Amino acid sequence: MIWGAGAPPAVPPPPRRHRPGAGGTAGEAPAPHLLELRNVSYAYADAIAVRDMSFAVGERQLVALTGPNGSGKSTLLKLIARVLAPRQGEVLYEDTPLSQWPAKEYAKRVGYLPQDPDPAFPMRALDVVVSGRAPYLGRFSWESPRDFEEAERALELCDAGHLGDRYLDEMSGGERKRVFLARVLAGTPRLIVLDEPLAALDLSHVQQFSRLLRDVVDRTGCTVLFAAHDLNWAAAHSDRMLVMQQGALALDASPNEVMRVDVMRSLFGFEAETVSIGGRTWIVPGNT
Amino acid sequence: MSRHDLIKPVLVLTLLLALVLILAVSFGATRVSWNDDTARTILLRIRLPRVLLAAAIGATLAVAGVTFQTLLRNALADPFILGVSGGAAAGAAIATALRLARFPGVVPLVAFLGACGATAAVFLLARRRDHTDPTRLLISGLVLNAFFSAVILISFALSREADLTAALRWMMGTVFGATWTDVILLSSLLVLAMLVLAFFANDLRLLAFGEEDAKARGVEVERVKLIGFGVASIITGAAVAVSGIIGFVGLLVPHLIRLIWRRDFRFLLPLCALGGATLVVAADALSRTLVTSAELPIGAFTAILGVPFFLSLLRRAR
Repeated sequence: MIWGAGAPPAVPPPPRRHRPGAGGTAGEAPAPHLLELRNVSYAYADAIAVRDMSFAVGERQLVALTGPNGSGKSTLLKLIARVLAPRQGEVLYEDTPLSQWPAKEYAKRVGYLPQDPDPAFPMRALDVVVSGRAPYLGRFSWESPRDFEEAERALELCDAGHLGDRYLDEMSGGERKRVFLARVLAGTPRLIVLDEPLAALDLSHVQQFSRLLRDVVDRTGCTVLFAAHDLNWAAAHSDRMLVMQQGALALDASPNEVMRVDVMRSLFGFEAETVSIGGRTWIVPGNT
Repeated sequence: MSRHDLIKPVLVLTLLLALVLILAVSFGATRVSWNDDTARTILLRIRLPRVLLAAAIGATLAVAGVTFQTLLRNALADPFILGVSGGAAAGAAIATALRLARFPGVVPLVAFLGACGATAAVFLLARRRDHTDPTRLLISGLVLNAFFSAVILISFALSREADLTAALRWMMGTVFGATWTDVILLSSLLVLAMLVLAFFANDLRLLAFGEEDAKARGVEVERVKLIGFGVASIITGAAVAVSGIIGFVGLLVPHLIRLIWRRDFRFLLPLCALGGATLVVAADALSRTLVTSAELPIGAFTAILGVPFFLSLLRRAR
């Protein structure tokens, strides 16, 4: 079975809206963005979290979202995952504003992994993973054998095939994380939104996880957008980096353009030195 | 998990319930006999409705309990902690103090209104802007319970002594004097409620992963919460109105079921209904047969039966 080649959605996606200025005839229309943000802002009761963010992401990309603590990364991901609705501006998926997407249809296409996912009650890993198929289920219906196949494949992909029958409350943080990533993958999304996916992983699993993300992108053509505070990791495993500062998009560039001493000083507020190993730039704290 | 995994547990619990029902009908102050007119009348008019009402009440409270626990993502949530039963009791106590107990049906009605009022109050207190916070819900329930206790005490102090006995009996929970009307009303309401909950079962089990997670999976979180709380509160109110306060079932049964089958809401819903029914039928049978001189409170027996079972399971589960 080809990854991502799921059954066609039961409900056809909403019609793509022509963007102003885009070519009117079908032949000339530019390739649509998978995801586009237009002047998106969001504020909590006491603070603005995201200010006037605009960017677009195409297919088959591995995009890292970085920035200092409290720069609004998680909020931005929640706006994209439709957990929050923008106060201003709009988020578009396949050129259609999120508000016009039926909730379940959107959930089939965009998979979201929150920072600390937690089922409140003890659950078997396989049951957690197969719950990622929920957007495909109708009322009163239960997962089919196909859904379980999809779940088991996702577990295998995350190097967690052996964890299926174990209970989540008996697992380490890293094992849980892999189970929850498998849960996202089980939904065969086109856009995967991950909030600090590495937080609880040891180095060998960080490496494995990075390869896995690249593999998923290459094989399915989906796009992964992940938040990470570890700059070196983010740079090593992304095609593009978005740097946020105080809720705004401060830099949208290739990893090489971000991993520079002057960028570290102005955007992250620390003196850094760079080390070049195997043609890749690493940031290390400076001595000053 | 698939639907087939549910067949065996449902069969086991159904058999257990059937066994307990048969035993409960057979035992009592009068021996069962089809040949004797009096005995038959007692069986059909008194004992059978009583046993079936106990089953319906147990199922209702357990279903309400598992729904509250799933919605609040908290294993301590139950109709009592959220103030639903307290509201019903306060309503009944006020009705007693106002000497309304002599009119049939008034106390249950006021109790039901009290339960609904308590739910609404807890919800309004816990609501901030467009969001209902589970922790605030629990705290609001706790605070309201303290208030309801005060109302109950004051009402009792103002009640006539003659009315107090009945009121106390009601507070202790009883299915004495159950009628077929009670059975049919409560069972229909329960079936309806379970259908609604089953309709939203996929959403409810996703809510157990947290509201943000559920939202990202296409669940209309606020709507599902409102419906879930509404349904669970209404059936709790109805159960309390019919039988008074039978404690422990809403908290204990979902725990017991989860200790044996650690599965999600879709799985727990039918199993809790069967388990709750079994527990209360058994508790009622004990409460009326152990001592012949008096009817002991059912609520005490749900605890006496449930606690040892619960503790042994808890010890076995690591």
